[in-house]
This record gives sequence, structure tokens and C-alpha cells, in this order.
Amino acid sequence: MAFLIRRFGFYLAAFVAAATINFFLPRLMPGDPIQIMFSSAGAELSPENLDALKLTFGFVDGPLWHQYLTYLQSIFTGDLGRSIKYFPLSVTSVLGNALIWTVGLMGTATLVSFTLGTFLGVLAAWRRGSVFDIVVSVGAIFATSVPAVVTSLIVLFFFGFTLGWFPTGYAADPSLDPSFSLTYIGSLIYHGILPMLTLCTVLTGGFAVTMRNNMINLLGEDYIVMGRAKGLSDSRVMLWYAARNALLPTVSSLAIAIGTVLGGSLVTEVVFNYPGLGNILYQAILARDYPVIQGQLLIMTIAMLVANFIVDVSYVLLDPRLRGTS
Amino acid sequence: MIKVLFTGLTRNRKALIGIIIIALIIIVALAAPLLTEYNPASRVGRPHQPPSADHWLGTTRIGQDVFSRLIHGAQTSLAVGFGAGLLITALGTALGIIAGYRGGKTDEVISFFTNMVLVVPNLPLLLVLASFIGQASPLVIAVILGFTSWAWGARVTRAETLSIKHKDFIKSAEMMGEPRWRIMMFEIFPNLISIVGINFIGSVIFAIITEATLEFLGLGDPKTVSWGMMLYNAQKASALSVGAWWDILTPCFALALLGIGLSLLNFAVDEIANPRLRTGNRLNRWTALIRSGDGRL
Repeated sequence: MAFLIRRFGFYLAAFVAAATINFFLPRLMPGDPIQIMFSSAGAELSPENLDALKLTFGFVDGPLWHQYLTYLQSIFTGDLGRSIKYFPLSVTSVLGNALIWTVGLMGTATLVSFTLGTFLGVLAAWRRGSVFDIVVSVGAIFATSVPAVVTSLIVLFFFGFTLGWFPTGYAADPSLDPSFSLTYIGSLIYHGILPMLTLCTVLTGGFAVTMRNNMINLLGEDYIVMGRAKGLSDSRVMLWYAARNALLPTVSSLAIAIGTVLGGSLVTEVVFNYPGLGNILYQAILARDYPVIQGQLLIMTIAMLVANFIVDVSYVLLDPRLRGTS
Repeated sequence: MIKVLFTGLTRNRKALIGIIIIALIIIVALAAPLLTEYNPASRVGRPHQPPSADHWLGTTRIGQDVFSRLIHGAQTSLAVGFGAGLLITALGTALGIIAGYRGGKTDEVISFFTNMVLVVPNLPLLLVLASFIGQASPLVIAVILGFTSWAWGARVTRAETLSIKHKDFIKSAEMMGEPRWRIMMFEIFPNLISIVGINFIGSVIFAIITEATLEFLGLGDPKTVSWGMMLYNAQKASALSVGAWWDILTPCFALALLGIGLSLLNFAVDEIANPRLRTGNRLNRWTALIRSGDGRL
């Protein structure tokens, strides 16, 4: 328990540090950020809105520490201000809309890749040196070492443009209204296949290699030999003796992968013009929409911190050795 | 340890293929001015010509020679990759060894910063930094990468340092009164060479991919000749929808090839450092183990 409390303290400190970086970034920029934002927004901002904007960044009159506290207060009350690009909308609602798409796309892709990768890794380690192992290992090396930009573009080129099997952008047919009808859901799936394929190609290899290497390290342990010597069936030794224990370090990479879900698919979303968080961040950067950039960075940091904390908790729950020493 | 690594690398098929790929790319990059007469930055032909005898890989939207841009761009990708990789590894290794060996307050401070950097999402932060700087040149990108990406290496190096700092040879060096910097440089560092190697190659891959990604997203300097800028320009010229596949698939293929070459090398170093991961002919593996003194019967 003391271990968890210490970790929680660390994450709180990390959060404040990230928020502080967030606070200082626009201040380190050359020029007055508020003026830059004001000019890029054109005539859409009224003077009252300008004041509101200043408030969300802590650009209130007064010394720096006072500005900083105002900023921290607006974070902890969940007020992230208003977007400049999509003006009357608040940052929370802009990010909220995008969040649904990203979680749907990346969440599914992460879970599919994790399941598939772990399964392939277990089998490859079990038949180490076989043709299957070589295919999986080499395939994983290829898939993980090719940049996501390249994978996205190649998938888009072949399946989207050359073969013309799938749409080349948007999350659903823009002429349809969002609803729970079969046509709309069908359109969602149809538009989601290419980004999903890309993300699974990028992610599966990593999980497979981690699992394979964990498994191989464990297969040399005495209790595996013991299990075999007892005459247990291959599948029982493989799944219940080796895979179960090899899964532990993989759980942490899964949690980290889930933590990066909110920012991890940026490139794919941009290439496939998918309306998720990554694309919103990209558009915000191009439009110098600082409230959205800051809000997005905060959300991603929080997701990473929560994921890391879940790793810590799961380690304590799954690995009895940690309980005694803490 | 270093000797085992090198004999291992020459005997490992993955490493050999990886080294051949990387060597080929380096040679082509260095010989770029000899291999093509075209200036990579200027207009030398009609726009979007498919590959021909004059232009081996066709031309871009504004009539630049794709082959010339490819081999000149390789110089940029390699320079950023190895430069940033070196910076990342140097910082990570130094911090990791100091934290692991010194322990106490030093360790606490370094570990706190390491963990802090690890939990802040990297790519989005880089994007924001690059956009604030505006039209970041390859040098600027390499420096930003170097100073923001050392944390993983520091954590791994620290853990490895902890596992060897109580070994006898360190104790005896301490007894003989060797200064601490000497112990860290000449006793600990050579024993971590495989982890440093993995860290270095991994960092090079990361730097090359990230540079290309940042430039593809339009955050680079438009005057740069690099693979990332080639992707950006091709995408901006809608190369895919007008069917100019040579414009966009060329940098794609080059990035994939370099990534694969480096990864093969990385996996090979991992296998040499961790003999259990090796596959292949069992007898060969066994004799290799006996020779390197790792195989205890």
C-alpha cells in the first residue's frame, strides 16, 4: 500500500510538472501569444472573448505566480477555455467529439493487436526455430520497423487508390446523418477498415515480439521442465505454465499502449483524414489554436499517468513478490 | 564482452543482412553527387513524369528529379538519425550509469526526472515544440530529439548498472583506489556495451522515423532535401490521387528499407546479448556458446 501511495505522489508531481510545461510553452514563444491568436482568429473574437481567452491562459494582470495559480485553478476545475479555430465551441466539447472517434478506432485496434500479437508470440516461442517462428519474427521486425507514415500511405495507395476497394477519408459517409441505423454503422465499419488495418499492422508486431521473448526466457525455467517431466500435455505446459507467467510484462506494455491511445494514432488519422484526437491536434497546431493544443496535451498526459498507475496496481495484484517488499 | 559482440555479429545472419542494407544506403548517400547530374532542389524536367531513362524514378510535381532527391535525402536522414541517436545514447548512458553507480540522492533526482520524461507523451510534445520553433531544420529536429528522448535509455542503463555494481571486479577496482569516473568509464561502461548498442540502434531508428514524421506533417523547413520532405511534398501535390506513385512510394520504400536494416541489426544484438533468444541450427548455436564461454553444461 505504501508503494502505491508513493507512486500516486509521483504521478501527482508529474502531472503538475506537465501542467507547468504547458503553462510556460506559449510564454516561451516569440511575440505575444494572445495577439498571435487574436490575429489568426480574424474578426471572430470580440474584446470580451479576448479577455476570457487571456483568463484561461492565466494571462491576467499581476505577477507570474499569480498567473500560474489562476491557470492551475482553471485546469483543476475542468475549464480548458474556448477553441480559436472552431470559435464559439469550448475546448472540452471539441476534444470530446474527437475522443469518441479515437477511442473507437485506436481502442479496437489496440485490443485486436494485443490479442493477435500475444497469441502469435506464444506459438512462435513454443515452436522456436520453426518456419512459423521465422515468419512471425521476420514479419514482426518488418512491421515494427516501418514508420507508421509509410504503412499508412502504402495501405492508402493500394487499397484506397489503386484497387479502389475502400474510401480514402472520413469516419463515415458525410452525406449520412449519425444514427444507430444499419446503413450508418455499415458506413462506419467500411470507412474504418483501412485505418484499422494500418494500426493493427503497426501494433501487432511489437506485442508479438515482447511475448515471444518473454516466453523464450521462461521456457528455460525449472518449473517448465518439471511440468513436462510430470507428463502434462504440451498445450497445458504452454498455456498454463509458460504463457500465464510470460503475460505479466506484456500487461504493462498493454496498459502503456492504452495510455498512448489518445495520441498514438496521429499520423494514421491525418493520412486517412479521420476526425479523431490526433487529427484535431494536428489541425490545431497548423491553426495555432493554443487552447486546443494545451487541452490535448493535458488529456494525453493524464491518460498516460492513469495507465502507468494501473500498471503499478496490476503488478501489485498479479505479482505476489511485490506485495511483501513494499 | 566487446569481442563476443563482434564475433557474434559477423556470424549472425540477421545482423549480416542488416549491415549490408545499412552499408548500401550509406555508400549511396555519400556517393550521391557522383551518381546523378541533377541538382536535387532545382527543376530539371517536366512535372510528374513517370520513371524513364532520363529520370530513373520520375519527376515531382514541380519537375525535380526523384532519384536525385532520394539519394541526397538519404544524407539528411542518416545524419539526423545517427546524430540524434548518438546524443540520445550519450545522455541516456551517462545519466543511467551515474544514477546506478552513485545511488543515494543523485539516483533519486535522476530517476525522478527520467520517470517524469517517460510519462509525458513524446510525439505530441515534439510536434508542439517543432511548431513553436517553426520550419525546424534537420539540425534543430535532431537537437530536440536528443534532449527529449534519452529517458528510456537512462532507465535501462541504470537497471543494468545496478545489477553489476556489486560484482567483484568493481569492488576490487574500488579497493585499488580507482577514481569513480574511471570506474564508471572503464569498468562499468564496457560491460554494458550490448545494452548501449541496442539503445543506440533503437534511438537511430526512432530519430529517423520521427524526423520523417515531423516533416511529413509539414513542420520541417521546406528547403530541406530529405525523405520526410519528399513525403510532405508528394502528399501536398496529391501524388496518390493523380497516380504519381513514383513520387510518394520512393521515399516510403527508402524509409522502410532503412528501418528494416537497422531493426535486423538491433534484433541481432539483442540475440547475442541474450543467447536464449537465438534460433537456428542447434549444433551451431551450441558450439558458438562453448566458444564464447557462455555455454555451461
